[in-house]
Order: sequence, then C-alpha cells, then structure tokens
Amino acid sequence: MEASVICSSQAKIRKTELAYRELGCFDPKGVSKAFSAKSRVCFSPSTMWRKAGIRFTLRAVQSEAVRSEKVSGPSRMSKSRDGVRLFVGLPLDAVSDCNTVNHARAIAAGLKALKLLGVEGVELPVWWGIVEKEAMRKYEWSGYLALAKMVQDAGLKLHVSLCFHASKQPKIPLPKWVSRIGESDPNIFFTDGAGQHYKECLSLAVDDLPVLDGSTPIQVYHEFCESFKSSFSPFMGSTLTGISMGLGPDGELRYPSHHMLTKSNQIPGVGEFQCYDKNMLGILKQHAEATGNSLWGLGGPHDVPTYDQSPNSNNFFRDNGGSWDSPYGDFFLSWYSNQLISHGNRLLSLAASTFSESAATVCGKIPLMHSWYKTRSHPSELTAGYYNTTTRDGYEVVAEMFARNSCKMILPGMDLSDEHQSHESLSSPEFLLADIKKACRKHGVEVCGQNSSASMAPGGFEQIKKNLLGENIVDLFSYQRMGAYFFSPEHFPSFTGFVRSLNQPELHSDDLPEEEEEAAGSLNVSSEASVHMQAV
Amino acid sequence: MFFSSGFRIMSTVSMEPLLHHSVRESVRYALKSRIFKPSSWSCSTNHKLVFHARSFCNFRSSNVHALRASTTTDTDLVETLESTDIFFKETFPLKRMETVEGKIFIRLDHGQNNGNWQLTVGCNLPGKWILHWGISRVKYVGSEWDQPPEEMRPRGSIPIKDYAIETPLKKSSSSEGDALHEVKIDLIPTSAIAAINFVLKDEETGAWYQHRGRDFKVPLADYLLDDGALGPLSNLLIKAEVSPANDSESSNESREAKKKGRSLEGFYEEQPIAKQVAFDNSVTVSVRKCPETAKNLLYVETDLPGDVFIHWGVCRDDTKTWEIPDAPHPPETISFRDKALQTRLQPKEIGDGCCGLFTIEEGLQGFLFVLKLNKGTWLNCMGNDFYIPLSRSSSLLAKSRQGLSGSAQILEKNAEEKEEASLSAYTSGIINNIRSLVSDISSEKTRKNKSKEAQESILQEIEKLAAEAYSIFRSSIPTFLEEPIVDTEEPIAPAKISSGTGTGFEILCQGFNWESHKSGRWYMELKERASELSSLGFTVIWLPPPTESISPEGYMPRDLYNLNSRYGNVDQLKEVVKTFHEVGIKTLGDAVLNHRCAHYQNQNGVWNIFGGHIKWDDRAVVADDPHFQGKGNKSSGDNFHAAPNIDHSQDFVRKDLREWLCWLRKEIGYDGWRLDFVRGFWGGYVKDYLEASAPLFAVGEYWDSLSYTYGEMDHNQDGHRQRIIDWINATNGTAAAFDVTTKGILHSALERCEYWRLSDQKGKPPGVVGWWPSRAVTFIENHDTGSTQGHWRFPGGKEMQGYTYILTHPGTPTVFYDHIFSHYRSEIAALISVRNRNEIHCRSTVKITKAERDVYAAIVGEKVAMKIGPGHYEPSGPQRWSLAAEGKDYKVWETS
Repeated sequence: MEASVICSSQAKIRKTELAYRELGCFDPKGVSKAFSAKSRVCFSPSTMWRKAGIRFTLRAVQSEAVRSEKVSGPSRMSKSRDGVRLFVGLPLDAVSDCNTVNHARAIAAGLKALKLLGVEGVELPVWWGIVEKEAMRKYEWSGYLALAKMVQDAGLKLHVSLCFHASKQPKIPLPKWVSRIGESDPNIFFTDGAGQHYKECLSLAVDDLPVLDGSTPIQVYHEFCESFKSSFSPFMGSTLTGISMGLGPDGELRYPSHHMLTKSNQIPGVGEFQCYDKNMLGILKQHAEATGNSLWGLGGPHDVPTYDQSPNSNNFFRDNGGSWDSPYGDFFLSWYSNQLISHGNRLLSLAASTFSESAATVCGKIPLMHSWYKTRSHPSELTAGYYNTTTRDGYEVVAEMFARNSCKMILPGMDLSDEHQSHESLSSPEFLLADIKKACRKHGVEVCGQNSSASMAPGGFEQIKKNLLGENIVDLFSYQRMGAYFFSPEHFPSFTGFVRSLNQPELHSDDLPEEEEEAAGSLNVSSEASVHMQAV
Repeated sequence: MFFSSGFRIMSTVSMEPLLHHSVRESVRYALKSRIFKPSSWSCSTNHKLVFHARSFCNFRSSNVHALRASTTTDTDLVETLESTDIFFKETFPLKRMETVEGKIFIRLDHGQNNGNWQLTVGCNLPGKWILHWGISRVKYVGSEWDQPPEEMRPRGSIPIKDYAIETPLKKSSSSEGDALHEVKIDLIPTSAIAAINFVLKDEETGAWYQHRGRDFKVPLADYLLDDGALGPLSNLLIKAEVSPANDSESSNESREAKKKGRSLEGFYEEQPIAKQVAFDNSVTVSVRKCPETAKNLLYVETDLPGDVFIHWGVCRDDTKTWEIPDAPHPPETISFRDKALQTRLQPKEIGDGCCGLFTIEEGLQGFLFVLKLNKGTWLNCMGNDFYIPLSRSSSLLAKSRQGLSGSAQILEKNAEEKEEASLSAYTSGIINNIRSLVSDISSEKTRKNKSKEAQESILQEIEKLAAEAYSIFRSSIPTFLEEPIVDTEEPIAPAKISSGTGTGFEILCQGFNWESHKSGRWYMELKERASELSSLGFTVIWLPPPTESISPEGYMPRDLYNLNSRYGNVDQLKEVVKTFHEVGIKTLGDAVLNHRCAHYQNQNGVWNIFGGHIKWDDRAVVADDPHFQGKGNKSSGDNFHAAPNIDHSQDFVRKDLREWLCWLRKEIGYDGWRLDFVRGFWGGYVKDYLEASAPLFAVGEYWDSLSYTYGEMDHNQDGHRQRIIDWINATNGTAAAFDVTTKGILHSALERCEYWRLSDQKGKPPGVVGWWPSRAVTFIENHDTGSTQGHWRFPGGKEMQGYTYILTHPGTPTVFYDHIFSHYRSEIAALISVRNRNEIHCRSTVKITKAERDVYAAIVGEKVAMKIGPGHYEPSGPQRWSLAAEGKDYKVWETS
C-alpha cells in the first residue's frame, strides 16, 4: 500500500511525510514488521512528523525477534557502502556503575549527529566490573540495554566490546568479588620480575584454574557471554552487528608489559616480561623440564632492562649478541608468546562458539607495539608477547589463530604515522601495521581499524584515510571515541571533514551528478528507503 | 477522518508565521525556527487548538496505572479490569495550554522615605518577570528611551545598551496573601524626567507585555501638554495587550488616569493580562475482552478538569475511517453529524477527573477518539486521532510490548525520563524532517542548488547537535571541564591560530572611550599612540565602530559602506590601521550586525527602509519588534529597541553582511572583529560570518544580567557563564566572548571585600575563564560600563586589583583606553610585561591557593603567583619566588 502512494504524485506535504515514515523506522525489521502488521500506528496524514516518528520507532522494537534474520542479513550490511563502514566509540563510562546511562542527553544528541553524518554505528564498551559487579552470575544489563535501545532508535548499528579488564581513566574496576579474591590471592594477576602485580585484569595463567570461587575464569567469561547473548537477543544481528571479546589488558591480546607508564613526553621504554606470578612460573618450569632444560625454567631472563629503559641498557635486547638471539632466548620467547596465543585461542573459540548462530561478527583486538620496531629484536613486541623480530614473523601464528576461529582482527594505531614518532624511539607504526596486515591477508582475516591517540595527532586523519582507502582488507573503522573533546570545536569539524571525505573521495569535483550522489550517499537516506520498500 | 483533516489545518496554521514562499520551503523554515527557538512550537500560537498529546507508552509502567485505578471508587469495575485479560493499556500524556488571567498594576505614590515619589509596577501571575524600562527626559527630543540616573535604578538592575534598564521583579505577597511580583522605583525629584517608559517581559516565555503594541508610559511632568503634538501622553495607561495571546479584547480603556493636572498626582491602575500556562494531564485507555460476550470493553479515564467529551468512533480496517458503532451506547451519548459519537465522560466518584466505559462489538479493528473540553478545545494524539487497536493480533502486539517493559522501566528509573523523551522526540523530529526533505529532493531529481541547500541545512543541524552534546559532556564530566591544557613547556604552535583565540597570547587594548568621537580626528590621535601601545606589550587594538551612524559614537550604523564617521574619514582609518600593522598590532573592527538604522519611512511612517549601498526593505527587519514593523522572521535573539533589528535568517541579509565584512577586511585591513550586541541573533550566524571573513581574532559582546537573590549577587554564576558559553558554542568556537561574569564577580569581591567569591565550587575561576579560558576575553571596563556613561562602573580605586587578576590569569585580557592613559599606566605596563615574560596565554593553568574573605591568591602556569586583597599571602613551594609587581592590595611574583 505504501509503495503505490510513493509513486503517485501527492501534495508535497503528504509526500514528505510518507518519505519520512519509512525513514523514521530506519531499522529494517521495524519497517517490514510494522508495515506487515498493517500499520497499526495512527497513520492519518495529518501526522506531526516528529512525534509520529518516535511513536513508530517505539513500536518497531516489538517485532524484533520475528523477522530479524530475513531482512537484514550481514550480506546487506557489508554491501551497504562500497567504502569503509565507520563506527564511533561511545564514552568508556557511557553506563555508570549503578547501571544508568551517563550523560544520556549528550549521547542522544551525539547519536543523531553521527547518524546524520552517515556514520554506520557505534562501539559500546560493556564492562565486566559493571554488569557482574556484585556477585558471580548476578548480571545487570539494564543500563546497556537502555543504551542499545537508544542506538537502535537512532538507526545506528552497534558493536559491543566485552571488557574483562579494568580501566584507570575513567575508573572502572574489576567486579568487586573478583578484586576481593585478588586481595587474598594476588597470584591471579600478572606479575613482573620485581613482584609487582598488575591488577587490571586476570593473568592468562589462571584461565583454566578454579580460582574464582571454584570456577575457572574461562567458565566465568563464558557464562557472561551467554548471559549477554540472551539479554541482547532482541538486538542480535540487527542492531548488534559485532562483538569484540576482551582478551587482556585494555582488551588487547597482550601482556601488560608497559603498564608502568612513563611520563608523557618521555620515550617509551622496552617494557618488562610478566611471567612471575606463581602459576606462570609453574607452567614455565614444567615446560623447561619437558624440553630438558630445567635450569631455564626458574624465571624470566636475567639481563633485561626495566620498564622505561632503552633496549641497549642491558644485554637481552641488544641488536648484536643480545641473548634474545640465543637458544635460551628462543626457548623463552617462544614459550612466552605461545602462552599468549593459546590464551587468545581459548577466548576467541569460546566467543566464536557462543555467538556462532547470531549474525554478529566476533572480533579480537591485538596491540600495535610499534616502539623499537627499527631495532633487530623489537623489544616492545617481545615483552608484550609477540615473538616478532627481524628474523622471525610473529604475526603469522596470530593471524592463523584468528582465522581458525573465524574472528575479525581489530587493529589500533591506524592514525599513527612514522614521521610523527619521536626519532629516538626507533618506532615505526606504519611498517608494523603493514606486517600485521600482510599476515591477515595471507590467512584471510578481515581487519577492523582503530585509532590510538585520543586527541588526533597531526595528520592523523590523513593517515587513517591512507590506511583505509589503500587496500580493501580494512572494511570497518572504529573511531575512538565520543566525549567532550570529540564534539569540541577543535575536533569535530575535522572529524566531519574526515567522514565526508571517506564516503566521497571525489568531494572536490564540481560535477552535478556527484553532488547529488553525495547528498544522498552521505545521508544514506533515499537508497536505504527504497531497499526497505522492496523488502516489504 | 474529518477530525484529522481538521487538525491538519491547525498544525499548518501553527507554522504559518514561519512559512515564506512555498510549501516546500516551509519545511526548511520550520526547521530553522525550531533550531533557534524550540519554544516557538509551544507558545507561538494564538489560537486554541494547539494540543498534541505525546505517546510514550513505554515510559509508563503499568503498575502506575494499577495504582491510579485502585484509587477510583469504581471498585467492581477496577476489579474486573485487573482480574481479566487486559490486552491493551496505555497512558497518553496530554499537554494543554490554558490562558490564565491576572493583572499588571502600576502605582505611583509616596514611598516610605517620605517625600519622594515611588513608582511600583507589579504582576500577580507566576513567571520570571522583568521590567524593561527607560525614561524620557524633559526637553530632550532625541530618543524616547534613555537610561535613568544611577540613583533611580533598583538593585539588580542591568543596563541594556545605553537606552534601557532591566530590573527583575521581586516576589512579595499582597495583603490578601496572593503571591505578587513587583518592583519599586524611587523617583528623584531633581532629575528632569518627563516620563517613565516600560514594558513587562516574562523571561520564561519570552513574551513582552505592552499596551497596543506600544510601551507603557507614565508621564511625570506634563509640560508636554503645551506641546500638543504628544497628546496621547495624557491618555496614559490603556489596557495591556499581550502580544502572544492577544485575543482577550477587553473594553476598560483608560477608565482612570486622565492626569490633566499640572502637578504630579498619585494613582493606582490595574491592567488585565493573560498568559498561557501549560498543564500536563493524561488519558489512560485500557481494553479487555469480556469473557461472556466476547465483546471488547474499553475503559477511558482522564484527570482533565471540568467537563470532558469524547468524540469517538470505530473502524474496520487500516484506513481508520470513522464509523458509528451499533447501539447501545453509553449514557449521555449523542450522534455528531452522523460520523461520530459524542459522549460526556462521567465524573469519578472519588478523586479528580472523569471516566467512561465503552462496549465494542467483536470484529472491529480499532477505536478512534479525540477529546473535547468544555471550552471547545480539542485534544488529540500528536495531531492524530487517538487510536486503540482492538483485534486479536493487536493484543499480541500489546503483549509483546509488555515483554519489553523490562527495558522500558530502566529508562523510567532515570529521573530525566520525560525530558529525555521529549528531547529525543525533538531531535529525531528534526532528523526526520531533514531526511524527508532530502529524499523528496533526490527523488525528484531537482537541481543542484537544491541538494546543496539541503546539505547545508543538514550540516548546520549536525553542528547544532554536536554543540549540544559538547556542552553537556563538558559540564557533566568534571575531569573534562577544562580544555586540554597545553603543556607549559611547549609553546603553542603558530598553526593553531584560530579566530576564537588568536595566537593565544593576545593582549587587547580597547582603543577608544565614549568621548572619542568628539575631537573628530580620533584616528589621527590614536595613530600617534601606536608605537607607545606596541611598546607597552599590546598585540591587538579594538577600534571604534567605523560606519556612518545616527549616534556620534557609531553604534547606530546606517550606511555600512560609508566609513566616514566622527572618528575620522575612511582614509584616516586606513592610515591608522596601517600604522598599527607597522608596529605589530592587529586591529579589530567594531562590527554592529544586530541592528541598522533605516534611511526611509514605510507607508506607515515607520523607519524600516534602508538605503545606501545595501538597499534592504522591511523583509530585512525582524518581525517581533513592534516598533519597526519588520516583515522578516522572528528574531533569533534578543531585541535592541532603538533601531530596526536585522533578520539574519534571511539569506540575502547574510550574503550582504558577509560581503561587507570581507570588504572591510580587504579594503581597510582589519584583522578581526569585535561584534556588538551578539545577544540579538543566533551564534550560528556569527560562525557563518566569521568563516566567510576569516578573521585572526573575533570577540562578541554577550552581555546579560547576572543572577541576584535579594539584591545580593549569587556566588554561583554558572547560569550566567553558561549562557555566554552557549553562545560561544553556537559559534562553534569561532569567536571568543567578553567575560562579563568575571567582571561582575570582581565587582562584588572587591567592593564588599568578599574575595572568596573568586573561587567557584570546584576551586576554579568563577567566570567564563574558569570553564572555557581560551574563549574568554576578560575586561574590567569598557565604553559602556565606564567612561562617561558609567553604566556599570568598576569599583573605584580598585582597578589595579582587577587588572592584576585578568592580566595574570588565562583568557585574553583587555585593557581599557582610559586606564592605559591614566596614573595606572606604569603599573599596567609592569603587569603586561610579567604576563609576556612568563608566557601566560589564554589556556594557562590556574591553581587557586587562597580564596578567603580578604585575600585571593593563585599560581598561574607554575611560574607566576599573584594575590589581590588586603589580606596576607606569600607564595611557597619548591620554586624561588621573587616579587615582580606590587601596588595597593596586590602583589605578583614570578619564579627566578
């Protein structure tokens, strides 16, 4: 019924209304269902547009589960635009620890702005320490569901990051009951050579140990994911299109090797190995004995620099004759990185199996440890758990592991360019990124890009564009992140420019047809509408 | 159906003032007006059928209804409703505007301090009332409005430019115990005042209360009767007419107040006024299946007062065609033109409101209704008929919604629930409007410029939303309150110059005062001082308004392209600008964009036709200032009453102004702007002008009143600075603004020895400079506040403390010409050199180390320490401090 109206030439005012109606329910299932339900909502032509719109979208929710798979399969999504799909991260503290939506009005306005800009969706960090705060298996999703609803109402997609770590700024701790366990048993945390614990996430060595009141962390993560899946089932595959699994510190698959932050202006040091908690040492000892070198299993290497020192301040990472290049070095580094990769594999296969029937893509994030890349030993990568040196490719196995679990890889640092790195850190984000991308391409792993610095580095947007438009391995970019700075006059105009140029690289052209395309394309409006009409 | 068409007309009518040329454009105009003045939707109407209920059913939990239901006495009914299968239940909020009548009263009598006459103006309606007033002087033929002498102004008065005063009315209670708002003005017998003119303003609604579109006038001296020409003056007070709701045409014209006598007589006069006040009610509809008869029982309940009629019908399909259902009908039901039924709802036995029960046959699709109040007021659902689904499938629908109520209730926990909902309704409405506009355009393949226009309006909307999000994020996250502070070690890169901040190291000089026009060769006098100002350390000079002007000071411009003014001719202007450039000082032009004086009168004798190089007619004048009969849109800001306010929403106006600014930049060589009276129009337009003219620096004068309680300034002026920040935000940060808040707080702190005021609740500077330092232009005096006008003069003798504060603090400080060339000169010079030497810039950090009764101290950028006030303070800490400047009640140290 609606389609015929559209084709006829009605009075203008009526026409705009009709057009609006389709668009008001941007969410495809909403439209299809609402229409198939014979437009139960008052639809008389005198609608005040905006109010009816709200009403309509509210109704749209109800029909969620019924038709979700049919209309909006992943295939439509990935084809929705030729270029890159752009997401923007929501504030880390978008949901407060008492499960309310923080600055909801700002987020609501922000979502609309993003939608108008043509941004595809938003990324929402979901914190273990908020959802399962009080007691094990006691989940409170309300704040996140409310937020997901806001996202849905805004007609945006949602990518959820499950965060099994804590955050310092803003302060979001681990669940209280986990911290309590940690107080009595600090060995559940990563530990460095000096015996300092890193209390922002659990050590990978306890993955399968029943340290959490008789449950293993893997079980706890798994139940969390299951609970998430059932709570978010109304959004799954429609609004919710991606889930990234928290894999370690800051959600990244790595050791917290650099957590002793140096002062901002200083050159980052090499970091330290984090294999000194009781369980790690135990595994190391076993492994050493099994390979017949029991003396190598007594601890980590002795000749390493401390956190903020440079590679040459001790023997291990030296370019020439450093012990990394010795049989012992190979023994230790292989073991150290294998532990990390099996940890990643455990979590990603868990996530992949949990979310296998849902249409959402599962992702994992790996770090871009780019400082000291220009040395032979790549110390920053080694301490973080990536056995990648000038003589050994450490990312092949990682990419292979992602491919095995059909997971997408999130790669940060797309905004970093070599020329803006401090010279002394011998860093090269661009080369490292190229290495990782190569490994991904080889194993058919799709990459989702992110930027690293909170405030855009000079030339950051240009660099991102270069990374995105050059090759087609990156089909999605998640821009970090919404907040006061994001919308500030210093930043937002350049972001707007970035988005527009991303969607429409030939922006400068004066051609008339292109202008038209842009108007439609950047708003993603008319084309979407017609898609929906056909779907009905 | 006929109801809906009826209401469509209404909703179109309510947009009419905004429409301009065609229906399509109406969409755009409606949008724009919404952007600037969201309130116009709720209060701009002058007819009664403006009610739209909103339906946010998800936000109402069903237990609320249950509670409400159980309070009614219809116990058996309630029980059945509760116990049986209710498959639909929804509460629709109803918004109702009701006209409340009250009075404005004016009394002239002898005040308590015997002898002096006292004028009392009051109002008995709730609201935030402001008296906007001025005086006419004896033997003064110029403006009808002038500012009263200082002594006459009650506390808390704020000067509005140079022609009026705004005084808030204070709450008091009358002898009958009613709440009253009133203000008393003491008349000074010696001052030659012919009359007091005023209008009453309601800040809540923005409405102006005048009489017959003209100001109230209380003549004090009646010599004018001799004159004859001003006869209406004797007819002093005529009935008040309310501009937004002027349908109350009453007859009591000047029943009193024929003051023909030559001596002043006391009087008391009352004027009826009417104001529209919003009331919130709701209607709840629940439907259940009657198990015995398989009919639907529909129960309607509302808390609307008075008689409520429900017009109703049923429909069989989706077209929602009204049909009259078969009898029996409820009691007090009549048929209405054979298309609907009209039933009077029965009053509830206990509690307010009324209800009705309807039995509906099986097989009908839905129940349609609208509500009618006794005064012929119709209430509908967002412009539509209320529609209640009745069939089985719809009951499923309703159920599934209940399943979701889990998440809906979460939202409800949020205290902002309603507000949020309406906000999102508002913004999504905008989005949808834009979308429909765009799809409309692209589907019709209209011309290129159309899609460009659409894009522009979308981008404008995106910016608006971003600005909104920004301001909330900024204010709601304390850690993000300050802008990212640039490390003091690294100087700001020159690339970061923006029109909102300049280089960040600017120090402004206001290069004129209120008398500067008198010599006729000010530019030449200034030119001689150029190298001196440069050596003092100034980087920017603000030059007086350059255009031909009705008033000699230049703030009443007429022909914008005529730059021969009382300050000198255009060549001298070019010369002085060139000289300043030679000594390394940038020049700011004083651009008056809010208003422009007309060259010619229209057919009614009103001055609103412009000549000169930019020939505009009355379409360039805002429509809501009755003095000038403009035919443009409503003003996007406050009105300046002495001249026609320019309607910046008109494309041709903006184009001409953009061109003018670009011409000034190029022709004269101005580097930036000081923008006069920017309260008068939306900051988004300023952004437009600034982007077009690309100034190196720009600062706007956004001057409104601080908040006072019982005549005493409030410690917390967050509201005041937020308004300034909102304006800066609206300009997208392209302009800075004068930090009026800081000046006001300095006044109180210094005058009353209350230095604790200089730290806000969060330990930051309490002015704009504490929130958005890089956009705050601090000052202590200008040509309006000081000079020979003295509208709001800085506490005498304490100027150096003020300068110590602003010249050591972040923000961009401005020094007033009169102070530079006074005995303060060397002290100011010393402070400027401390600022420059220690590279204090607009974003420097401030650590307040002391804010007590008699002393305020702070450390700025870790290298400078300062204190003002008589109290003792010495900086401590690891640094070695050495005294850098010192004077009466102030000291400044720097690290050595």
